[in-house]
Amino acid sequence: MSVNVLVLFSMGAGVGFLSGMFGVGGGFLMTPLLIFYNIPPAVAVATEANQIVASSFSGALVHLRKGTLDIKLGIVLLIGGITGSGVGVVLFSSLREAGQLDLIISILYVVFLGTIGSLMLVESLNALRKSRNPDATPAALPTQQTWIAKLPFKVRFHRSQLYLSVIPVLVLGFLVGVLASIMGVGGGFIMVPAMIYILRVPTNVVIGTSLFQIMFVTMFTTIAQSATNQTVDIVLALILMVGGVIGAQFGARAGQKLRGEQLRALLGLIVLAVCIRLGWDLVTVPTELFSLGEGGGH
Amino acid sequence: MLRVIVTLFLFLLPTLSGAQTKPSVQIGLSNETVGITSSFDGTEVVVFGSIENGNQERLANGKYDLVISLEGPTDFTTVRRKEHKFGIWVNGLSEQFSDVPSSYTMAATRPVDQISDAENLKILEVGLDNLNLVPIGQNLSDEQTKEFRNSLVRLKISKGLYLVDIGGIEFLTPTLFKATLSVPANVPIGRHLAHAYLFDGGKFIASQFTTLQVRKKGFEQQAYELAHNHGLIYGILAVLIAMFTGWLASVIFKKD
Repeated sequence: MSVNVLVLFSMGAGVGFLSGMFGVGGGFLMTPLLIFYNIPPAVAVATEANQIVASSFSGALVHLRKGTLDIKLGIVLLIGGITGSGVGVVLFSSLREAGQLDLIISILYVVFLGTIGSLMLVESLNALRKSRNPDATPAALPTQQTWIAKLPFKVRFHRSQLYLSVIPVLVLGFLVGVLASIMGVGGGFIMVPAMIYILRVPTNVVIGTSLFQIMFVTMFTTIAQSATNQTVDIVLALILMVGGVIGAQFGARAGQKLRGEQLRALLGLIVLAVCIRLGWDLVTVPTELFSLGEGGGH
Repeated sequence: MLRVIVTLFLFLLPTLSGAQTKPSVQIGLSNETVGITSSFDGTEVVVFGSIENGNQERLANGKYDLVISLEGPTDFTTVRRKEHKFGIWVNGLSEQFSDVPSSYTMAATRPVDQISDAENLKILEVGLDNLNLVPIGQNLSDEQTKEFRNSLVRLKISKGLYLVDIGGIEFLTPTLFKATLSVPANVPIGRHLAHAYLFDGGKFIASQFTTLQVRKKGFEQQAYELAHNHGLIYGILAVLIAMFTGWLASVIFKKD
């Protein structure tokens, strides 16, 4: 594979900058970027999982020190997450054999990035408009959905001050686990809103707990992908890690100077741009209709 | 350079003694192994050879034709074609071929179809059109199979893995020749075969082959072997490196 170390390092730093600035993992930007740079999607996905181990471990350590991490809730999420990741890796192998992996990765990205980008943009533009007429009251959080309160197998989560059924927690963990192994993302961008709005976890422990789960799920994904598909590239991951860690520090500082709504609007735009670029490749006539699979060597 | 001189000298010896009667061809390589390091950016392998016991007059007039090929390890390869479905382009029809050389570099004195007849070339598998790529997948029509086969060759050429160099054989004397074959940066590792085929007036007379080993070297080799033979250990190592990097970052950039 002939790729430029400096370009990869810059990509890591650029995405790291954004993730530091917006407080997101950045996997959902890094994986498409690697694919645009002609890294085979299978390698991009598995290697990105490896990079996320570094960033989430670093983040989870900070939250552990501060005590803003619900380990019990994290472990239940993790049980779902590991199962999901295992299923995802098997799915990944069979899609790859069928020659449809690249397509599924692209479609998943277009759907998720499109939805999340639009939601962020709409929400932040509304917030920006509201901040101009201060009379409007912020929308209250909806009360906990009754169907979740009725579910059996309730467990008490002290740190989060919640008495909650383990079923929605396991399901959420599972879904994020599947996404982690197929899309090469941590899944924070789905987990954080779901924890706040569906599980009603207090916001001060949400980030730490989701980082805890992401860290273990991406660890498992990295090892499982490496063992079954041999698609992890340590050297590539290391370059991205170092770039990402440095970029994140500068991003975090830049983020403090911008307002929350502006940040979210900006991130929404970036996410939509990546979505459009990926979607464009799906709908336009390819310059080369044929491709070589397995054993062709790249 | 010393190696080259020694090689040349070895080829000269039998020519001088002239013990045999039937014309034959002998070849040797400038190097028997190609090591791939992290900075490997492709290289060249020089094939040296001589025509032995040739007719002096025909030799002097360059009447003999030669084809030299360097073929990488063979493997299964799937060729897929994208189709327009539900408004997007998805992989549709596919065909699998066996015995596909992972790489194929060829040098010849003339275009192969001028050197010998189609049947001969097919048997010898000389030239891109004559490689014996066996379709083993779905029941495609002959025309489709041909289209998929041509696409396979075209994609291999565009990746730099298949290469044809007509006129790439240089005669140093009427009997001694050399051909410089390029080895691309993405050369597949494994045992490569260098072949020389000798033709006279369209007739195939003799061939000779030798091997070239392409292997990863140093860190590249260790990482490659670990990733492919011990995926689990490689994965655990990847995780440990990531954790160390993450921990280091949290120490270096500790806030407050």
